[in-house]
Amino acid sequence: MRKFDEKAVFSVFAVLLFCGVIVSLCVGKYPLSFTDIAGLLTGKIQNSMKSRVFFFLRLPRTVVALIAGAGLGLAGWVYQTVFRNPLASPDITGISSGANLGAAVVIVVAGNSAITVASGAFAGGLAAVLAVAFLVRSTKSNTTSTFILSGIIIASVSKAAIMLLKYYADSDSGLAAIEYWTMGSLASVTMSKLSGILPFWIVGFAGLLLLHRQIVLLSLSDEEAESLGVNVRLSRFSVLSFSTLLVSSVISITGLISFSGLIAPHIARLITGKRDFRTMILSALTGAFVIVVSDIAARSIGSSEIPISIVTTFFGVPFLVFFMLKRRRNIT
Amino acid sequence: MSLLEMKNLKCGYGHRNILDGINLKIESGEFCALLGLNGSGKTTLLRTVTGIIPALDGNCTVDGKDILCMNEKSRARLVSYIPQRTSPVSGISVLDYVLLGANPWIGLFDSPKAGFTDKALQITRRLSIFEMKDEDFSQLSEGQKQLAVFARVLLQDTPVMLMDEPDSALDFVNRHKILEKIASQVHESGKCAVISIHDPDFALTYCDRIFIVDGGKILCDICVHNADRTLLETGLGKIYGKIRLLGEPGQYCMTKIRN
Repeated sequence: MRKFDEKAVFSVFAVLLFCGVIVSLCVGKYPLSFTDIAGLLTGKIQNSMKSRVFFFLRLPRTVVALIAGAGLGLAGWVYQTVFRNPLASPDITGISSGANLGAAVVIVVAGNSAITVASGAFAGGLAAVLAVAFLVRSTKSNTTSTFILSGIIIASVSKAAIMLLKYYADSDSGLAAIEYWTMGSLASVTMSKLSGILPFWIVGFAGLLLLHRQIVLLSLSDEEAESLGVNVRLSRFSVLSFSTLLVSSVISITGLISFSGLIAPHIARLITGKRDFRTMILSALTGAFVIVVSDIAARSIGSSEIPISIVTTFFGVPFLVFFMLKRRRNIT
Repeated sequence: MSLLEMKNLKCGYGHRNILDGINLKIESGEFCALLGLNGSGKTTLLRTVTGIIPALDGNCTVDGKDILCMNEKSRARLVSYIPQRTSPVSGISVLDYVLLGANPWIGLFDSPKAGFTDKALQITRRLSIFEMKDEDFSQLSEGQKQLAVFARVLLQDTPVMLMDEPDSALDFVNRHKILEKIASQVHESGKCAVISIHDPDFALTYCDRIFIVDGGKILCDICVHNADRTLLETGLGKIYGKIRLLGEPGQYCMTKIRN
């Protein structure tokens, strides 16, 4: 097994993330300079416009980019490990389609107000996973393939319902809002939204970190895990609950962000060559970096902001192609 | 009191009764083989004792403690199990793989302490896979993988070790190697092991007792060292038909008599 220089890798990531955060704090419609930020943080600048932009828009947005990326990266690692599937992502338990449906319902019924849409998406994500858990329970076979099948069923039902909603939605405002939500954006992030989801995010993230050894044990077959003293049902349920909290807290305020949860664990594994605790942390760091950079790109590429999933997808596809080619070389 | 005791143990899936009233007493230091044809219920018995499938009736004790109503963790301190096909894990070093065996002994959120790592290294040395401790588990050969799995079981350090065809994926040399290592571990440490196996020659060479399983019952319980050739031939004949044992005690070789 190839050894990697742990300290070097983590230092490089720390520096990259730090630079990303600084740039993210500066770039935008109302640019701030590095000295502005230093001044605002030390209290030397009292300029009300600058301080409002920084504390109410730029800072929460950057923090959300960090925690969204870290959350999706970590959850991606967890899903790929627990489901023993390199292509697993939060979609596998129906969570994103559930959140999507929740957001769409709220948009059509109550209009496009930020807080209610976030709550609707959060509830929708949880409901979808609960429905999947219920389906799995009623089949009485708690295997990963049952989870995947149930996820597909719930995702399909949600998609059908979303199409119905789109069909009846007001084509000027409602339809556009639903579509826009599925493309993800950090543009509407505010301090109050951030503080609303942060507790859920922390519980989910911390829970997964604590359970990291159980997650690796769950990558064995159920009978092997059980013979090693793992309560497979309870462990899998807890792991999925924590990752559901984590992912739905993120996408409830960002909308759907494609690819980052899928790509981050692969990049991390490419660096460490392993699937251990350090890879898990690195996967979160990679996710954070990807989202911070994508968000910077989303607000600076065009004359107006573009949705973040456009950036993450264009960023992610070359990686997928690379991994596919690498895989083929390994097999032959 | 025997180390592993089954009393009237009924096993099966749901309402399908596969094994009907198994009674066995296995002492410490005994290496036992379950011999039976495909579908005779060897795997079902092992899975029931491990607690992977619930017993339909009867009881099973280790050191007098009822293991059927224990939780996974307490049971995993008494009984370890290697399934026929172990999971194809990748991205985990051999040492970390062996350390998975520490799970029943540490808290849910804890990581294995240095003591476990030392012990794991010792075990890898004893099984001569020390040189591969940093390799990726998925890169090992089948023989090395089986040794790594056995190392994990040794770290789990249970008085009872159950293994479902631990030799099935291995070549001739590696089969001898793994069975020899299991036998010596069992004899040195006073544990007991029950394996299912298809090749009676290997069972006769390495195991102390042989259970012949057929029709949902244990037809014969043969103590290999005390049994003479005729007794062994009659016992094995119950499932294999007309057979003859060639060779000497300790290295028997079974052949089929053709009509």
